[in-house]
Amino acid sequence: MQLSFAPVEGNSKNYKILVAVLAALVIAGVTAYMIAYLYGFRLWGVNNSVTWGQLITVDFFFIGLSAGSLVVSSLVYVLGQERYKPIGRVAVFMGLLLMFGAMLTVLTDLGRVEKCWRLFMYFYLSNMKSMFGINGIFYAGYLLLLGTYLVAALSGSKLTKYIAPVAVLWAMLVHMGTGAIVGFIETRHVMYSPLKPIEFISAAFASGLALVMLLSWLTLKFSKRPLDKEMFVSLGKMLAVLIIVLMVLVAVDKLTHFYPPKREAVMFLIAGPWAWIFWLQVALGYFIPLGILFNPWLRKKVGWVIAACAICVVGIFFERAAIIFPGLSQPLEYYPGEIAGIWGARGGFLIMPAETLQTLGIVAVLGLLFVLGLKFLDLLPAPSEGEHAEGAPAEPAAPAPEGGQT
Amino acid sequence: MANWGMVIDLDKCVGCQACSLACKAENNVPHGSPHEQKRHHDIYWHKVIAATEGEYPSVNTQIIPMPCMHCDHPPCVNVCPSKATYKRSDGIVMQNFRRCIGCRYCIVACPYGARNFNFKDQVDEEYQRPDLPEDLGLSNEGHIGPWPYPHRTRGVVEKCTYCFHRVDQALENGEEVGSKLDGHHGVLPACVEACPTEARYFGDLDEPESAVSKLLASRTYIKLREEMATSPKTTYLPR
Repeated sequence: MQLSFAPVEGNSKNYKILVAVLAALVIAGVTAYMIAYLYGFRLWGVNNSVTWGQLITVDFFFIGLSAGSLVVSSLVYVLGQERYKPIGRVAVFMGLLLMFGAMLTVLTDLGRVEKCWRLFMYFYLSNMKSMFGINGIFYAGYLLLLGTYLVAALSGSKLTKYIAPVAVLWAMLVHMGTGAIVGFIETRHVMYSPLKPIEFISAAFASGLALVMLLSWLTLKFSKRPLDKEMFVSLGKMLAVLIIVLMVLVAVDKLTHFYPPKREAVMFLIAGPWAWIFWLQVALGYFIPLGILFNPWLRKKVGWVIAACAICVVGIFFERAAIIFPGLSQPLEYYPGEIAGIWGARGGFLIMPAETLQTLGIVAVLGLLFVLGLKFLDLLPAPSEGEHAEGAPAEPAAPAPEGGQT
Repeated sequence: MANWGMVIDLDKCVGCQACSLACKAENNVPHGSPHEQKRHHDIYWHKVIAATEGEYPSVNTQIIPMPCMHCDHPPCVNVCPSKATYKRSDGIVMQNFRRCIGCRYCIVACPYGARNFNFKDQVDEEYQRPDLPEDLGLSNEGHIGPWPYPHRTRGVVEKCTYCFHRVDQALENGEEVGSKLDGHHGVLPACVEACPTEARYFGDLDEPESAVSKLLASRTYIKLREEMATSPKTTYLPR
């Protein structure tokens, strides 16, 4: 299959408005972070009970999406499924972007961000018994691998074949390590589970595939590029399988912790004050997308498949939130009995402007880099012949000189 | 090397919170406003919890003072990525503010809620203590910086130190450290010293003649959350 890639032109009014809005959000986020850094994190919703907030939720979400995107790209570059090639490059690019965003969230979440280099002093100043310390290796290596992978994929180099499997395996390590950060903490019963690393991988596959489908469909549609409906429908079938795997894993995990009499943690999760997060995860992440993807009529319509993707991505976001917020706010049982006052009270969390603006700002950074990447890198398949492309696509690697009409 | 531990007699404790106040005064810990308390933003190195079981008329409220447990197998030390939390060879679990990057992983991992994040700079004058010595020049391993901490930093995690500065200073001056059953105590942590009912004992768990060892040998004792296998060195004598 001959396929050429070309950047979008990026001269239309809509494109410029999009860039301007994203840039404004980025500036707002940077300002919010500077203020929070100067005044302390009392401006955020985090507190001594729910010590991780929006940023770490988004961090886990991004890392998952990144690993998932990479796995999608592996369909093309490892398994050689040529029909998925149109979205291969976008998937690699998104993997890099999302990991960069995850690093932004986790580093700005530090109380003393200027000391973040201590995380990367492997075996010297970092504690290699800490899952955070171990993940420092995974994260840094992953960013380097992704950078090389993207350069190789963009230049159509033969190296891609060798980098891709390594990058995909590394992405799985990254994600299992991230799952272990929360899964290995026995103190927090909602989080504590041997299945967490596996569940994280599974959620990453589902959400990553869904996001790549969603974003590539959106960009292809708005840049009026050739849109292979069959590809999206078949990817939709794969998404359904991934969601079922994830659902089974979550169900087994929760049932394991529900079966013995010590089931407070599961009850807190599914019937406690934060239960709405968990049920949104179940409904949006699993049931509604599966309902669409298994409906014999809807699953053949690209619009519905993409809608299922969008709902699934939102649902997986709630899956991340359902780890952080119920997990941390469940009161610790220092002693049997009902503990009076703030020591026995469940932790609360306030949506504070500084934290929210910063979260939005980081999302906007990624959005901005994504749209700029579309303009300056050859990520998308070139417009179909006769539409606007100057010169028929000849070589898979040769970037067409002109982009589509945005 | 000593192995410092604390024994708290719950039969003697009256729940007066003198220990909590003494801790705040000794270690310059901010009081925290009611608003901050509501939002879980204030810092406690020591807390007193009241756990109630049963219903009226057969009800039992147990008052439990909780400093850091200074576990033998501290989960916080395991998870700290930057080695800011470490266990000294005398068993005291310390926090080095200069190394702490503020990731708050230790707060997530601590089963006893002993750790607090510093959410802001203290602007009130009472927390800027020029009267305190800049640095006691303590020669303990793992430099902790100036102590007692005259200027706190926001963005790091804080915790109880068993008043290590008192202990270290006393050892350097050749003074005796720890409680005695006859009432002639050596140098003690602030909370132990302040207890009006002498419900708290501090001393060397490895020294068979110390008050803490004798109490643990002669009475039944409990440790909090033993199912976590952290082996706390703060032990309780039940009522």
